[in-house]
Amino acid sequence: MDGFTYVDIFATKGIEYLLVISGLLFFAYFWRFLSRPAVAVYREYANVFPAISDWFHLPLEGMYFHQGHSWAKPEGDNVVRVGIDDFAQKLVGKIDAIKLPQVGSQVSQGEKAWSLQVGSKSIDMLSPVDGKILDINESLLNSPESIGKDPYGQSWLMKVQAPRVSANLKNLLSGGLARKWMEEVREKLLARMNYNLGAVSQDGGVPVDGIAKNIDRERWDEIVREFLLVS
Amino acid sequence: MGIDRRTFLKCLGTGVALAAPGCFSLPGKLEAAGVAANKEFMGVLVDTTRCVGCRSCELACAEAHNLPVPDVGDASAFEKVRDTSEKQWTLVNRYKTEKGEIFAKKQCMHCNQPGCVAACPVKAMEKREEGPVTWDTNCMGCRYCMVSCPFDIPKFEHHSAAPKLQKCNLCWERLQKGEKPACVEACPAEALTFGARRNLIEEANRRIYKNSGEYASHIYGEHEAGGTGYLYLSSVPFEQIGFRTDLGTTAYPEYTKGFLYSVPVILLLWPAFLSGVSAITKRKDKVRSEEGGKR
Amino acid sequence: MNRTTTAVQISSLKDFLVFMRSELKPKGKILTPFNVITGSVILLGAVLILYRFFMGLGSVVHSSSEYPWGIWIGFIVMVGVAFAGGAYVTAFIVYVLRGEKYHSIVRMAVLNGFLAYVFYAGAILLDLGRWWNIANPLIGNRFGVNSVLFLVAWHFLLYMLAQLVEISPAFAEWLGLKKARKFLASLTLGAVIAGVTLSTLHQSGLGALFLMAKWKIHPLWYTEFIPLLFFVSSIYAGLSVVIFIGTVSFRVFEKDRIDEEYRRSWDDIIIDLGNACAITMFVYFFLQILVLVHGKHWSLLNTGMGYWYLTELIGLLLIPGFLFSWGVKSGNPAPIRIAAVLTMIGVIINRVDYSIIAYKWYLPLSERYIPSWMEVVITLAIVFTMVWVFIWIVNRVPILKKPPQWAIEQEQEEESVERAVALGLQLGLTMADGGSSIDKEKK
Repeated sequence: MDGFTYVDIFATKGIEYLLVISGLLFFAYFWRFLSRPAVAVYREYANVFPAISDWFHLPLEGMYFHQGHSWAKPEGDNVVRVGIDDFAQKLVGKIDAIKLPQVGSQVSQGEKAWSLQVGSKSIDMLSPVDGKILDINESLLNSPESIGKDPYGQSWLMKVQAPRVSANLKNLLSGGLARKWMEEVREKLLARMNYNLGAVSQDGGVPVDGIAKNIDRERWDEIVREFLLVS
Repeated sequence: MGIDRRTFLKCLGTGVALAAPGCFSLPGKLEAAGVAANKEFMGVLVDTTRCVGCRSCELACAEAHNLPVPDVGDASAFEKVRDTSEKQWTLVNRYKTEKGEIFAKKQCMHCNQPGCVAACPVKAMEKREEGPVTWDTNCMGCRYCMVSCPFDIPKFEHHSAAPKLQKCNLCWERLQKGEKPACVEACPAEALTFGARRNLIEEANRRIYKNSGEYASHIYGEHEAGGTGYLYLSSVPFEQIGFRTDLGTTAYPEYTKGFLYSVPVILLLWPAFLSGVSAITKRKDKVRSEEGGKR
Repeated sequence: MNRTTTAVQISSLKDFLVFMRSELKPKGKILTPFNVITGSVILLGAVLILYRFFMGLGSVVHSSSEYPWGIWIGFIVMVGVAFAGGAYVTAFIVYVLRGEKYHSIVRMAVLNGFLAYVFYAGAILLDLGRWWNIANPLIGNRFGVNSVLFLVAWHFLLYMLAQLVEISPAFAEWLGLKKARKFLASLTLGAVIAGVTLSTLHQSGLGALFLMAKWKIHPLWYTEFIPLLFFVSSIYAGLSVVIFIGTVSFRVFEKDRIDEEYRRSWDDIIIDLGNACAITMFVYFFLQILVLVHGKHWSLLNTGMGYWYLTELIGLLLIPGFLFSWGVKSGNPAPIRIAAVLTMIGVIINRVDYSIIAYKWYLPLSERYIPSWMEVVITLAIVFTMVWVFIWIVNRVPILKKPPQWAIEQEQEEESVERAVALGLQLGLTMADGGSSIDKEKK
């Protein structure tokens, strides 16, 4: 009969709370689990390509950067070693030839100094300093693709006798400023990439091809020129 | 996009793991656990037509529980309606009614489904299998039981540094020894009858039928607040002898049921919903900042 | 005096102690009128609290067996928790909905909420007769799983932890703990989601406490919808408190404690908050009407308690609601500030109604609960102590000013890493399935 035995309407409450707590833990796990396969693909991808943040890595010790992605390294007696940064060569992809000016000719800061030959297209780059060319890296002329191996060391482009070196260096970026600038470059690039990924080809060789070609296969050179400030 | 076998198995595993607790906590067994096995609640039938107002029960109660002994010879105590207190678990009040003076004993009603038990966050209040509602010392002194009691019975020792909660415990310590509650034993007028609640209701009904006209045809406590262990008979309507007749028949814990049952549901739904909202706003946010970057 | 916290770099325990010693020194004048008055109330309150613990609750408190709960529960806990609602609402807006515009106030709101909980949980300790058993529902000296108060206790504890996690990056910035900040900041979203859930439950849970006091609360207030009403009113109550504290803070704190940009954006934010209040109050008003009709208690409106009910409903809900709307429409923060104060009074009265005024309304005045002066002093002492701690923290920790540069950089770095990963994902996905998935996503 009703009311003679004790009906505890909350008899299962304790179990329910335990269930809910385990439910929540499962939920947290499940949520992460569902987003993990994609991460695994990324990891695979990361094995194939260098970590993206490496693209934007700059050695800052004694280096000065021009915003057209060339660098200058003063070596005393007004002699400056000049090269292109890692980002520039990754942007353009495989370089077929490098056209360097003659030893003894003049270059000036912010003016076109040398050009990269990629396929049928030629990309000019800007000199970071003013001066007279003392020496060029002959080995690069023979094997231009090796520029990617050590862009800040072995693969320098030329040595310049720069009489106004200290004034020149003041116009260049170093230390924290250089890092900030590279951040901006990265932001700019990431913003562009996301919007043009639909055009990425099926061959999968993204960085080997160069970043720019993956953004826009047809007009990649325009993108490169935009970044190298020669458009 | 194809799903490889390993991913599929992982999905399957998670699904099973999620479903498993449900399987193991199937109803049936748990339902049964909520019901004390075959024990009937004991209770007390108070026949107010028999009570002579001798207050022997007050005395016996105080002696049985080491409470201050009331001066039961003092008739002036009846001049106003008293309430039980932390020093007095039970007392007799005198009411002037249409049928003359009626004495009514007051104490904890020992509800079948007590509000105080449902209210207690530490289960210091407990409904025992024998029927009493008892208090234990793991109490925090939050006094939520006092708020939740439909009869306003639990009393708190406000003036003690180590206060206890005081209320009738139906002499639970005596019940365990097979004895009757002290007040029942002390009653000289047989106004109090101790027994299984079912039998008490039968007895009460018998008295109502047998002496038609002498009793108001209602057993107070049969259905009030879901039914109580103490049952009352009266010759006059119960409002006249100080009982609340507007309590309804719903057991008090039922009032919090809706809320308590929505808690696990919200705990499960809200985080999922919020995570979803967050994921969507995150994506939107990204798109917006990219648009900003493109400009 | 003008030292900023950005310079802090702590590498050893000794550094930490030196730093703490300099930080513990008071900043600014000590003997202001405000400090003197509140300080003496706090001292007196502390003495009375000791007295309460040695002599028992009844020696200080006026509560009786008719009124188990006095102003410590009815005012400090009930109102305090509703007022702390600003923390979960702003955290929800900023971290879940990503309303970046309101970032400048989220720390203030969360700090206020966290302190409110800490101090009001302290008030519970005072009010518990057998306070040494306070941990029982948590440590399982019997879990009263069937109790609303059990849930409220757990939610209290968990929500305090969640708030601590939400506010902790600010403290890591203050102490210059870069790694800790990075870790703690990564927990924020989880803590906010947990916090909003817990708040939903225990804001309404505080209302649910009264569900079993069925006939003890006046029928105009008692309804089975109390939990819902408590939850909805905590939204506008909390936002009103954010408006109030923000307005006061941006005026009283010295310039170097406040970021100028934050201060300038405040007038704009206040109007948005007023907008949110107006809408929530509008909804709440109709909920109230719905409940009134559902309960069929309109005949009671023409009684003493009915007039009190109407005062609360019209004077302290509709009127501030109109003031909020007016301020929003005219773009004028002044009526919004007034409305916030009125709303706060309304919420105080509403909560106190449930536990004191409408609770056993039928008793004659001589048997009604009226707080003792000692209860009031202790209540004020608790509130003032909280204000002191709030001020102390705002004077040191970046609450109203921008985080130090390194923290902002850390945040940006985190973001760009996130975006780089996202980019990697997209590149990777294109590779894996030939460029089609991105197309799909774009459509």
